[in-house]
Amino acid sequence: MVLVFFTSFFSHSQSISTSPYSLYGLGSLYEANFGLIPSLGTAGVALSSENFINNKNAASLVDIPENNFFFEVGGKGIQTSFENSQRVENRNNFQFSHFAFAFPITKKSAVSVAMMPYSSSSFKISGLKIPIIDSSNEYYYLDVLGTGGLNNLDFSYAYKVSNKLSFGLTGSVLFGNTTDNRTYEINNSVTTIDKKVSYSGIRPILSTQFKADPSLTFGLNVKSPSRVNASKIQSVTVTNTSGTYDLEDEVKSNTDDFYLPLEIGVGFNKSFKNKLNITFDYEKDFWDATNQSDLYGTFANQEKFGLGFSYQKKKVSRNYFDRIKYATGFNYDTGYLEVDNKKIEDKSFSVGLSLPLDQLSSSLFISYSYGQKGQITNSLVQENYHKLTLNLNLDGIWFVRKKLD
Amino acid sequence: MGLLIVSCDSDTDAGEFVVGADYLAIKNKVIEIDTVTIDVSNIKLDSLVTSNQSRILVGNYDDPLFGKVKSDSYFQVATTSFNLNLSSDTESTGYVFDSIAMILRYDDYYFADTTKVQTLNIRRITQNFKPNKDDKSFYNSSSLTYDSPILGTISYKPKPIGRDSINIKVSNEFGLEFFNKFKNNEITSYDDFTDYLKGFVISSESGNSNSVIGFNLSSVLRLYYSKGKGDAGNKYHMDFAISDATKQFNAISSDRAGTLIQDLPLAKANLSSSLTGNKGFIQSGTGIVCRVDFPNVKQLKYLSEKGAIVDAKLIMKPVKDSYSKMFPLPESLNVYVVDKLNRIKTTLTNSSGGTMVATLTKGNDEFDEIVGYQLSVGAFLQKEMLKLSDSKSGLIFTLPILSKVVDRVALGDQYSKESQMKLQIYYISY
Repeated sequence: MVLVFFTSFFSHSQSISTSPYSLYGLGSLYEANFGLIPSLGTAGVALSSENFINNKNAASLVDIPENNFFFEVGGKGIQTSFENSQRVENRNNFQFSHFAFAFPITKKSAVSVAMMPYSSSSFKISGLKIPIIDSSNEYYYLDVLGTGGLNNLDFSYAYKVSNKLSFGLTGSVLFGNTTDNRTYEINNSVTTIDKKVSYSGIRPILSTQFKADPSLTFGLNVKSPSRVNASKIQSVTVTNTSGTYDLEDEVKSNTDDFYLPLEIGVGFNKSFKNKLNITFDYEKDFWDATNQSDLYGTFANQEKFGLGFSYQKKKVSRNYFDRIKYATGFNYDTGYLEVDNKKIEDKSFSVGLSLPLDQLSSSLFISYSYGQKGQITNSLVQENYHKLTLNLNLDGIWFVRKKLD
Repeated sequence: MGLLIVSCDSDTDAGEFVVGADYLAIKNKVIEIDTVTIDVSNIKLDSLVTSNQSRILVGNYDDPLFGKVKSDSYFQVATTSFNLNLSSDTESTGYVFDSIAMILRYDDYYFADTTKVQTLNIRRITQNFKPNKDDKSFYNSSSLTYDSPILGTISYKPKPIGRDSINIKVSNEFGLEFFNKFKNNEITSYDDFTDYLKGFVISSESGNSNSVIGFNLSSVLRLYYSKGKGDAGNKYHMDFAISDATKQFNAISSDRAGTLIQDLPLAKANLSSSLTGNKGFIQSGTGIVCRVDFPNVKQLKYLSEKGAIVDAKLIMKPVKDSYSKMFPLPESLNVYVVDKLNRIKTTLTNSSGGTMVATLTKGNDEFDEIVGYQLSVGAFLQKEMLKLSDSKSGLIFTLPILSKVVDRVALGDQYSKESQMKLQIYYISY
């Protein structure tokens, strides 16, 4: 079954909602958030994995109750309206978001495997008029179709040093490819450049959680800077009044590798009377240091702020409604992309709840968020999006060896 | 669960939302280059085959740019019947010579000033039609010896459009002798005939012609005779036609003294346009052609690591005031790829083998202004740019019809002020 899922995932995870901004770098970076995290303004570095797999901090995996096996699958429905100074257009998209399982292996350690998209390069440009360099007022017309994206396969291990302190280590494998088909109409000629770039890389992530007291947890998540190797296959064809000529036919070559920045996230989680929870994340991604602005777009250091509140009347209750957890949050992301000297910010507000499905931790997490990305200027596009996230965590007790002991 | 895996876009993306046009332009640079050197030179082709072209081209005129242009036409006439007696009457003694004339039928070709009188003279060839052994052809430079006395002459205003033919009276002295050869049965075969009458040459009188006219091969020498005396007698005629087109050719020449191209060398050598008033000359009939070279195109290779010439437009403007109603511009120019020694390698073709020509383009304004001859040379230059060897190919431009007209064009070169030749190269880095 796992294999079937993975196979399906490979074939479908690359079609994430289109965005004009996904032209840059590896495409628009995709945040897969597990469990209730989408409702909490995506804050979760200091959250526990008690009720769902917290993908924001591997160190939290040690909180999965012994002998339990968590299996999570998630999907998203997104309606985006694109707006620039001339027009507004709506697009709907629905996609599978992630798939993961996690379980403790000893009293002090746990592992997880998670599969999710990392980025999506899906965009279309039709008949863009661009001036020809050194010409006297001549233009060429460009059509581009971008597809594909990268996937992320995370293998995590968590170890509990003490009741207060735990560490996590994740090996994040990135792989996938993007295709970029361009058509240039220059004077009386048409040039097509079809490029398929394959990427692969591995990124270590270190994480820790420290429980200062039962109601206050601090978390830290450090993603190391890493290189994603790239190689491309390119075909170039020119058609003019003399006919059609292949300049390159499926030529394989190395292309510029992509560098992921150092990313440091810190967060805290404070609960009040075991009912109300406040969680806050701050993350800084050091894109400046990757020095790849000229190749992939203009990148600048990025900051993310996430703030979430959740409320649950009682963890254990005969009344089903008491066990529902309600959540809301805000997120502000400065973005890492700079277009025309403007950062592409992303602001969102979210609400959601978790519906318990059994007496264990199986739950359905429903989250709605509304956000804005980019802004309306002559050269930028604002994306207003409504996002509905459905995450399902299935909790199973697997071999109960304890009783045999 | 199955539903979750399916991902779909419910709306089609029209591709109208774009961010980062500048970024897109940086990744693949599209550049226009119009500073590449164009070398123009003039060449006189060795010789052009002018036999078997099915046109009697005669006349001469003074061309302000190309000098004194002249065409004489040589041809042989023949008959299949050697009997004057066209009726069943066996008696041939009663026939009497009346007259003889050369009837020249216009084809549709004419050049220069047809409003002026042209004088044509007919003379008798004294040498057999012996073509070049290798290709059995006569050239624009060929000639045959002929008797100097004029057998017939006409001064007329050419009316190639509207009139059907001209009729040149040939001398009675010649006519009577000719007639008697038949009457006395001295000519009874083709060999007898060509031995006696080898052919004619028609040439214009240099002081008395301002045009060059084309006549077709249905032109005939017509012998008029009759039976019985007076008006009451029966009148007959016999036609001697140009039955063998390979024994008809035009000797086309020009005297370029005093023109910009007076020093034009023969064949393999070029005369640079810098020595010919920044002009390139093309003239059919005389074999003057214009060569265009792009000596520095290989340097474009160093513009970027990977780049291609996707299109290139060569715009060649006819020299101002060099054309008029009298000297019309051809609608197109033929293009040949040539080596260093002006040897033609191929015609310029597209990828499917079709021939490419430089096409006369007119502006869209009300004055119908001539833009020039345009030729797409993108593929040619791309090939030249990538050539590994040192050999460079050039392009030779000719008129669409090379050897049976005297049309001509003068083109400005890259340094010409009023009719500058231009090359626009569109280059992309990828």
